[in-house]
Amino acid sequence: MAFVLRMAWREMRSSWLRLVFFFLCVAIGVAAIIALRSVIQNVRDTMTREARSLIGADLVVQSPRALDEASLSAIDLTLKSAPVQARANVIQTMTMMRPAEGVGLQTARMAELRGVDERYPFYGTLTLASGQAYTHALLENRGAIVQPDVLAQLGVKVGDTLILAGTPFVIRDVLMSEKVQRSGGVAFGPRVYVDLAALRALPVLGFGSRATYQLLLKMDDAGIDATTTELRRQFQRSTTNVQSWRTLQDRLGKALSVGENYLSLVGFAIVVLGGIGVWSVTRVFVQQKMKSIAVLKCVGASSRQVLGTYVLQILVLGATGCAIGAAISAAALAAVPSSVLTALSVESVHLTWSAVLQGSAVGLLVALLFALVPLMEIRRVKPLLLLRADTATTARARDWRSIGMAVLIAAALAAVAVWQAGSLKAGAYVSAGLGGVALVLHLASIGLVRGVMPLTRSTRFSLRHAMISLGRPGNQTRVILMAVGLGAFFILAIRVVQSNLLADFSVESGKNSPDVVLIDVQQDQISAVTALVRKYATAAPRIIPMMRGRIVGVSGRRVQLNTTIDVREKGNLGREYGLTYRNTLEDNEKITAGTFWKDSLPETGTADGLDAEVSIEQSLHDQQDLDVGDEIRFDLAGRVIRARVTSIRKVTWDNTQNGGFMFVFRPGPIERAPHMFLGFVLGVSDVNARAGLQRELSMTLPNVSAIDVRDVLKSIQDVLGNVTLGVTIVGSVMLFSGVLILIGAVAMTKFQRVYEAAIYRTLGAGTWRLASMVAIEYGALGALAGLLGAAGAAALSYAVSRELLDIAWHPSPGILVSGVVGTTLLVAVVGLVASLDVLVRKPLGALRAE
Amino acid sequence: MIQLVDVSRTVTSGVGQLTILKPTTLTIARGQSVAITGASGSGKSTLLGLVAGLDSPSAGRILLDGDDITALDEDRLARLRGAKVGIVFQFFHLIPSLTALENVMVPMEIAGRTDARARGQALIDEVGLNGRGHHYPSQLSGGEQQRVALARALANDPPILLADEPTGNLDSATGQQVIDLLLDVNQRHGRTLVLVTHDLELAARADRIIRLKDGHVVNDVVRAEAG
Repeated sequence: MAFVLRMAWREMRSSWLRLVFFFLCVAIGVAAIIALRSVIQNVRDTMTREARSLIGADLVVQSPRALDEASLSAIDLTLKSAPVQARANVIQTMTMMRPAEGVGLQTARMAELRGVDERYPFYGTLTLASGQAYTHALLENRGAIVQPDVLAQLGVKVGDTLILAGTPFVIRDVLMSEKVQRSGGVAFGPRVYVDLAALRALPVLGFGSRATYQLLLKMDDAGIDATTTELRRQFQRSTTNVQSWRTLQDRLGKALSVGENYLSLVGFAIVVLGGIGVWSVTRVFVQQKMKSIAVLKCVGASSRQVLGTYVLQILVLGATGCAIGAAISAAALAAVPSSVLTALSVESVHLTWSAVLQGSAVGLLVALLFALVPLMEIRRVKPLLLLRADTATTARARDWRSIGMAVLIAAALAAVAVWQAGSLKAGAYVSAGLGGVALVLHLASIGLVRGVMPLTRSTRFSLRHAMISLGRPGNQTRVILMAVGLGAFFILAIRVVQSNLLADFSVESGKNSPDVVLIDVQQDQISAVTALVRKYATAAPRIIPMMRGRIVGVSGRRVQLNTTIDVREKGNLGREYGLTYRNTLEDNEKITAGTFWKDSLPETGTADGLDAEVSIEQSLHDQQDLDVGDEIRFDLAGRVIRARVTSIRKVTWDNTQNGGFMFVFRPGPIERAPHMFLGFVLGVSDVNARAGLQRELSMTLPNVSAIDVRDVLKSIQDVLGNVTLGVTIVGSVMLFSGVLILIGAVAMTKFQRVYEAAIYRTLGAGTWRLASMVAIEYGALGALAGLLGAAGAAALSYAVSRELLDIAWHPSPGILVSGVVGTTLLVAVVGLVASLDVLVRKPLGALRAE
Repeated sequence: MIQLVDVSRTVTSGVGQLTILKPTTLTIARGQSVAITGASGSGKSTLLGLVAGLDSPSAGRILLDGDDITALDEDRLARLRGAKVGIVFQFFHLIPSLTALENVMVPMEIAGRTDARARGQALIDEVGLNGRGHHYPSQLSGGEQQRVALARALANDPPILLADEPTGNLDSATGQQVIDLLLDVNQRHGRTLVLVTHDLELAARADRIIRLKDGHVVNDVVRAEAG
């Protein structure tokens, strides 16, 4: 052992500079894992620590409508025996807001209105711009506290009067920060706080409005879990949701753990790319060390001792790479801009020990596993090499130990992937994907060497010798194809998916999409709304009936959901759906199973005694196992409607003029269920016309809300922009790794090239000829790597677009072609630059050294 | 004592099987210095490689001090070399990343000797390189490198010393010094010395000269008889 330690130290002393690529290959992947894991762990810590502030209470009972007397008395009964300290009520809804006459801009916008009583909030604070502490007194006598966006959108200031759903409120202060989460998904406007009683007096809680009623409870810790369980049991068949800060903490924790694991897989992919670099560097390193290894064996060292020496070096170098990786990630985290921190709801991000340990462990493991393959060659090195130089290249029999080792290493890598993903399935997919790509690239490299064989008979000297070089003994063809091909594959796939997303997005925001969507239109307002719209738009609005409902049960062939808890466990199925009824199919709909009705359902209901017939969207059949013949129970405004599925519709979602509904009811008795209408307004592309329409609507029909689709699309575009930036950073790190590996691979073959170049020079080849040989050789490699990467990217982006994102796929030939050309140029230039000293070196020194 | 019994070596080349050493039987007594000569490709180095355990014979047996080394695996052969055989090569084959002294210490460290540094220094001094132990091979001349290689070969006091064209890469004066050192070691310490050379003048200084041609021993002369 002492010998192994001493030799490892001596070897490293002289070769660390040559192995700098080794450090970098490990460091980049490790940095990616540590940074990604640290960020998400920071977010998780903050979120779970502040779970109480996020819901502002210990326990929240939330319902899409006002709780009826029966429910309230049931709650009271349960809470009587629970250690409740205080209760508070909150109602949240959407409405239109505009400045009072003569104040601010002549426009109207949507706002998220939050009515709170004097006990709100139990936890967390509302930080105000004026610096004064928040008290409920600020909201009394029609006071409002608004988010800064309100001031910017309406051109108003503190003290001005704001008209909310036709009623004036005075802006008392500006809300700078608050922890309380939105209860829905996307916000359609900035938040405005008002007094609960004032909100109840507004005409915004009519039937069909998107209001959320919350009962907030502050209670002793000891009673929280039992009360949550009891209330959940009570409401299991209704749309009322019960959540405590503890259950929120669990849910956030679980969701963020999944996120952490998936992001770590991205890091793992970068580490594997680095691992290929490690493999290539180690392979050539071992080749260069053949004579030293032979000498050691000649003077009495066993294979195990020599192997130990190099394994130890790899471990030390790997550990150094991990340390550098940790340093890089610390620097990267320190550089995260504050806008990103705000978006992540954290004040700062810092390295976490668990991320550093995990990242380093993965880095070290992958470095060791990838290095072991070439290091096993040490066993084959015969000391006879010192007497006969041709010993090393003699043909060898199949070495079962090496094959066994390779299988073991592959299994270990797959295990690391599973560990990082935290899921056997995801880990297996990633491993299989990487393995498949590696196999394809390997076969492609064999194909390339065979394919260019005819060119080795070319009459053009440079071309002929460049092609011969691709197949020379000890060539790096496979390594370069693998590293660059994988890099190109990842980057092009990301770019193509991104371009598809953007294309899909522009389809959505294209000429077919409405400019303004009107919601909460009541039956008796349809004609007034139509008349008003005609003043500003070139066409009449499309009015569609719309009711809101949740599924509370399913009795189906493939799925049985008896309670709302069962439904919620099915994920998306538990959400609130927008529902409609009609007799006709839209242009973007096609029946794939069952038959679509042509007329209304008789008053008696369906033949088998159910209340309604419903047509479901294809994805509900494919993903949620719903089918024709199933019975679905909907909660529509507190009434349970039992509906029979009679058809399945495929909706082409990118045709948004007609929109799309997951559930369409057969007209008939369902029309008597309370509902409102949506209005799709086209032909108000002018910003002033849209502002005028919104303003006049808010004045004449204050309960109707108008969503400016262009504003919403812009905010979605901003989100997409951030995602794109994140993905581009990851892609760039991958490209950087690929280039590093390429440089490493070229540099590593240098010792061979120097000798060959010297011989070519001795035989009369000039620098230009040598340079063109190198450029053609690497250009050919780059072109093939680019082609393979582009083909893989097209396939992957197809799969991701169609299967995962459910958007249309376009091959994006521009990106793929420029990817191939770019890769060709990049590899040729890097090859040339890395070979510069080979090209300019005097031949005699190289010949003597050999 | 080194014994070769019907030893032959056949390799597979592009054109088929090629026997580079025909069946050979030889005995080299302890303490004898033997020069193996012959033209290029006559099988000299092959013979030396087989004696050193660097290669395995296709047929026949090789015994060092009565122990059959033919069936030993690579690691046992390595241990045997570390203990019994010192080798000097034409191209020195020092480890470029180690200093001269460290190169000399390596065999002793492998053998687990605790006096590696002190003895390494003594050997460096003995071959006339005092003060150069901390230099790397690239900082030494060819003659100096070969002296380091000799010191390394002597590190574990091996009873057998093998040298493959030890002067082949040196000028004649430096070559002469290296040969003097080798013969001195042979005579003073009674080590068996087998050296491969095609320098007949140098061969003439050995106790015995074996000449190979096309893989056959064509002449085997002991100096006293020759003289």
